[in-house]
Amino acid sequence: MGIGYAAIAIKAGMSPLQTVSMSFLVYAGAGQFIAASMLASSASLMAIILTQFVVNLRYFVMSTCVLNKVEESNLPLNIFAGHLTVDESFAMFSLSSESSIWTFMGIALIAWAGWCLGAAIGVVILDLLPVIVTNSFNISLYALFVAILVPSIKENKQIGILVLITMIMNAILTPIMGNWALIVSTLIGAGIGMYIVDDEYVLTGDA
Amino acid sequence: MDYINLVILGCALVTFIPRLIPALFIDKLNFSPKFEKFLNLIPYTALAALICPGVLTVDNQLWYIGLIGAVVAAGLAWKKAPMGAIVIITVVVLITVYSIVPFF
Repeated sequence: MGIGYAAIAIKAGMSPLQTVSMSFLVYAGAGQFIAASMLASSASLMAIILTQFVVNLRYFVMSTCVLNKVEESNLPLNIFAGHLTVDESFAMFSLSSESSIWTFMGIALIAWAGWCLGAAIGVVILDLLPVIVTNSFNISLYALFVAILVPSIKENKQIGILVLITMIMNAILTPIMGNWALIVSTLIGAGIGMYIVDDEYVLTGDA
Repeated sequence: MDYINLVILGCALVTFIPRLIPALFIDKLNFSPKFEKFLNLIPYTALAALICPGVLTVDNQLWYIGLIGAVVAAGLAWKKAPMGAIVIITVVVLITVYSIVPFF
């Protein structure tokens, strides 16, 4: 994924250093793809930053979930954990049985390093990779998401139904609301889940 | 200042703020069990929304490429394959599919 981002960033006119710094400083999977593509189509600074804000607003929800699950931590660690909250680290930590801040930091630092390293590798070997290979790597993130989600669906049919409802809702809302759809579907989906998923399944442990 | 640097710094700022706010206030908040349930459901709905319809745009021209990948990953996960294996096998399957597609 990091490699794929580098491909778009370089095409958008970013220098190798800028490409890697963006991965380090912004650290937002899909957000960086979008920012680089908008840069390539010479969008205005305001438009890029506003879109970025909307696309990455989900991290507010995700870092709230992560920090709410964590038992013991402190402010500097929480702030660092916040910066390292992305879809992957959030997903892997939320549905794992561990709730220590260090478990999250372990997962998250590896993901962050991997993302920055991917960008660095991308700017070097970019032209050598055929589209087929980069597209095939694009699936890896989705494969990870599916791999995290399936065991819960298998264990609880109500979660499965909730997942299906949310997917359909987001597929309908995406063409209408664009970048807002993801966060809206996530929140409405969780709201629906309050009524269709039994308390005991989701309230185990940290309630 | 370079326009691209401004874009990077602006994006970094608006991405960091939503991540910072929960860190500042999480200790001062005590959530009700109902809201805890809501928060605990978010990982499932967020993953659902991230997967669909995004997975269909893995390849901009061939929507079914992503679908094949998702089905392969789901099948492997159902059979309790380890996570790393699921990701690697899915990527390999897609590279294989790409090599076959031109023959149809």
